[in-house]
Amino acid sequence: MKRRGIITAVLFLIVVPITVVGGIVFLDDRKYYFISLLLVIYTMIPFFLSFEGRKPKAREIIVIAVLTAITVAGRAAFFMVPQFKPVIALVIIAGVCFGGESGFLVGSMSALISNFFFGMGPFTPWQMFCLGLIGYMAGVLAHQSLLKKTKASLCIFGGLSTFLIYGGIMDLSSVLAWAGNITKELVLVTYTAGLPFNLVHSASTVIFLLLLADPLIEKLERVKIKYGLISN
Amino acid sequence: MLRINNGAGGQIRPQSQKVRDLKDTFSTYHPVVNFAFFCAVIGFGMVFLHPVFLSLSLAGAFTYAIRLNGKRAVKFTLLFVFPMMLIAGAVNPLFNHRGVTILGYMGDNPLTLESIVYGIAIAIMFGTVILWFSCVNVVMTSDKLMYLLGRIFPSLSMIFAMVLRFVPKFKNQIKLISKSQKCIGRDVSDGTLRQRAEHGIKIISVMIGWALENSIDTADSMRSRGYGLPGRSSFANYRFDSRDRIALISLITLIFIVIAGGLAGENNIQYFPYIKTGEATLFSLFTYACYAALCLLPVFINVREAVVWKRLRSRI
Repeated sequence: MKRRGIITAVLFLIVVPITVVGGIVFLDDRKYYFISLLLVIYTMIPFFLSFEGRKPKAREIIVIAVLTAITVAGRAAFFMVPQFKPVIALVIIAGVCFGGESGFLVGSMSALISNFFFGMGPFTPWQMFCLGLIGYMAGVLAHQSLLKKTKASLCIFGGLSTFLIYGGIMDLSSVLAWAGNITKELVLVTYTAGLPFNLVHSASTVIFLLLLADPLIEKLERVKIKYGLISN
Repeated sequence: MLRINNGAGGQIRPQSQKVRDLKDTFSTYHPVVNFAFFCAVIGFGMVFLHPVFLSLSLAGAFTYAIRLNGKRAVKFTLLFVFPMMLIAGAVNPLFNHRGVTILGYMGDNPLTLESIVYGIAIAIMFGTVILWFSCVNVVMTSDKLMYLLGRIFPSLSMIFAMVLRFVPKFKNQIKLISKSQKCIGRDVSDGTLRQRAEHGIKIISVMIGWALENSIDTADSMRSRGYGLPGRSSFANYRFDSRDRIALISLITLIFIVIAGGLAGENNIQYFPYIKTGEATLFSLFTYACYAALCLLPVFINVREAVVWKRLRSRI
């Protein structure tokens, strides 16, 4: 517990500033992609450490593994159709039922592992971050009762988070990858070009949530009650 | 925009098999050596924009990709990497109007030589990183990553291992459920469109219910066998021998020389407002040589292995 706090503090108070300053001083402040990639990776480390730090029980580990495997299989099942994926819908359901931490882990691990099947790239940490963030937010908002376990509210959250968080951050990462210096027009053009993809992606999340939310949440809640599993 | 969805065309197949038939010697080194190598070349590849460094890294990535994937690497480069490089090369002159050498005007905006050269540099950098990642996909197999992760994140690597097992297991189970539903006329191929969708969801939800209940049994069985107790040992098929030590030491030496060269400004190039590089000195030649050795390290190792093998065989 204490060690984890120290590592997190060191990471955010020392390593992050050093990376940013180092990027400005040594890399001419032009290597946005490399620096932002490092920062994205740093952000995820405390989540993973806090999970390891509390020595999770076998049941928790396995439930997260099952949900992750379902998500990975979901991505694989729809690999033919670009952007039309049940991944975010499943991550949101996992977050809503099992809390923010599980949501984060299911999201980020399914991004990592599915890229083992589909090919790694510099985009892998970004995808891990985006999916993890969506799962975490779903869990936290559900815990605060801001996100109800009803179809309507899940669909609204799913559509918005896919469009704004996943689409917004992934498109930003491609701007950082392509361009040496970032101009307003370039960002605008990228977001416009990404618009149809992001719309299809959000629509698919909404559709999958409409179809899957009720039966899946019912299943997960039943298992949770039956075996007394992690609740928020 | 242009999300990168590359890879093996979505085949679900553990990638370790490919390595075994290929006999790439660098893949047989300790995972720490593999991982350190890829961190170094990809990190440097994303940062250095000097033409010499760019071409060395591109050469290293391309030769190694061909060594690993053969014809597929060439196809991948032509069909996938090259178009992306073209886009990356075009984006910069279109949106970047800095630079002093004006070649012409598009509308009101100047098209400068510097931004075109810079676009080409970015394009090469991008293509190189993608090619390096195509090598990562073959060399860094899931068992290697699990081995590396396992030390720092034991529970996460446990999840990792389980997911890799669960995906094919669930696929089989879906087939089973779908067949048994077919017997009572409730498969996805039965009924109207609406009914088919309902049957599909039913099958998925049966599968998920089964998966969760089944996994709880596994978890209880793990617990009763002492999972989570102190004194855990782990299986690892990797031994850090003298060969790995030599490779790692030379890797670290090369990395330090390249970083030192970078700090001394050997990799500096200024693109805007006009293109300017440092003078090529003896030290810069030395840095280039070290960077070349770093990028070509796996290829060197493979060639050396082939030569040694041939010599040993001819002696018999």
